[in-house]
Amino acid sequence: MLDWVAKQIVLYWDIFKYLLPALPWTVLITITSFALALILGMIVGVLRISRIKFVAKLAVIYIDVIRGVPLLVQIFFIYFGLGSLLNLDRFTAGVLAVGICYSAYLAEIFRSGINAIAQGQHEAALSLGMTRFQTLRYVIIPQSWRIVIPPVANQFIASLKDSSLVSIIGMRELTRAGREYYSQYFVDFQTWLMVGLIYLIMTITLSKIVKQLERFYAVKGFGSQK
Amino acid sequence: MFIRVENLICRFGQIAAVDNVSLEIKKGEVVVIIGPSGSGKSTLLRCLNALEDFDSGQIIIDNIAVDKNRKNIHNLRLEVGMVFQQFNLFPHLTVLDNVMLAQKVVRKRSTKDAADKGRRLLESVGLIDKVDSYPAELSGGQKQRVAIARALAIDPQVMLFDEVTSALDPEMIGEVLEVMKNLAAEGKTMVIVSHKMSFARDVANRIIFMENGKIVEEGPPSQILDNPKQKRTRDFLGNVH
Repeated sequence: MLDWVAKQIVLYWDIFKYLLPALPWTVLITITSFALALILGMIVGVLRISRIKFVAKLAVIYIDVIRGVPLLVQIFFIYFGLGSLLNLDRFTAGVLAVGICYSAYLAEIFRSGINAIAQGQHEAALSLGMTRFQTLRYVIIPQSWRIVIPPVANQFIASLKDSSLVSIIGMRELTRAGREYYSQYFVDFQTWLMVGLIYLIMTITLSKIVKQLERFYAVKGFGSQK
Repeated sequence: MFIRVENLICRFGQIAAVDNVSLEIKKGEVVVIIGPSGSGKSTLLRCLNALEDFDSGQIIIDNIAVDKNRKNIHNLRLEVGMVFQQFNLFPHLTVLDNVMLAQKVVRKRSTKDAADKGRRLLESVGLIDKVDSYPAELSGGQKQRVAIARALAIDPQVMLFDEVTSALDPEMIGEVLEVMKNLAAEGKTMVIVSHKMSFARDVANRIIFMENGKIVEEGPPSQILDNPKQKRTRDFLGNVH
């Protein structure tokens, strides 16, 4: 019995060591693609509420199309489809696919965050001579930011998990490394348990950080946290 | 004439909230608009600041025509400050930052100049000890005084007050009216929508009584409040008193 436990521990440690070099790639894909998603999402979210009908319509189409196609298909399309035309490497294609996909969700979150701010705030800013852009930048978005932190953080954690899909195009991140270990040593239970555990540790850590972030952005007497 | 409104019509669907109103206001004049709720007085005020689009007619303030032209609207709003019933302070900024923001981004003043002016204005409304507070930490009366300081900070030539004491507890109304009286005494051009008849009597050069989107009667406080010519004005005042 003791012998079995010792062997198991050695096995798990072996798997962990094998997976570790791939871990930074998972982190890098997640952070880069989410940074892209934040920028794109902010732009599309603001365009979505543009008073120019045509512009708003374009943003709606972008959001609908991106949200309506599975991420896996988008990864294939960007890597094999666009990738062969534009000569994209695995990392770039993966980051683009995940980033664009999440930008659509973030755009909707940002839009609802902006809409959640009372009309009186717009009117007060406009009446002070601010342009619509200045109103958004200095008055509306800083207030929306607090509202959107929890759902945006949700998306960040989800994108960390979805970065595993990039393994399908041969990008050697955590999930891919797990598959490689399995195909070399044929231990499935322990390998996937370990891969899952590592994801879980990362997502739980992120949730904790988000809690801190919410506290940091809370202002005395304003918003839900006192 | 500083403010000229000609044949202004502003509709919400089928209802004309402002129905063919013409009005002239001189520089330095304090005009109080009274009337029952739904009479169009707030809408008229909001048209003066281009916060409400109107359907026909003309508004000219300080030689700037209020129209769809963005540049005009922007220039107009620099000259026309507004204070709202619901304060609309920026809750994510401190009191001083509330008063500084438009100075910096609209008037392009340096942080130091904006802060100096901000402090001076907050001093004048009696809130110098609250510069670092957030709006949520203030009472209603304090919020409204910050809102007045904020509007004054960009040096508008006209101040619009839209029922600024209606959301306040009775004991806080006085402190806000006091600030407004001081402004009137300094010769600020002011257009005030208010239900406070005694206040109107004190500060107004002219009172305008509106009903159903139309101006029913206008004149000095002594005429409107004490000897109204129109029966509807008498009925309204009879109900208010």
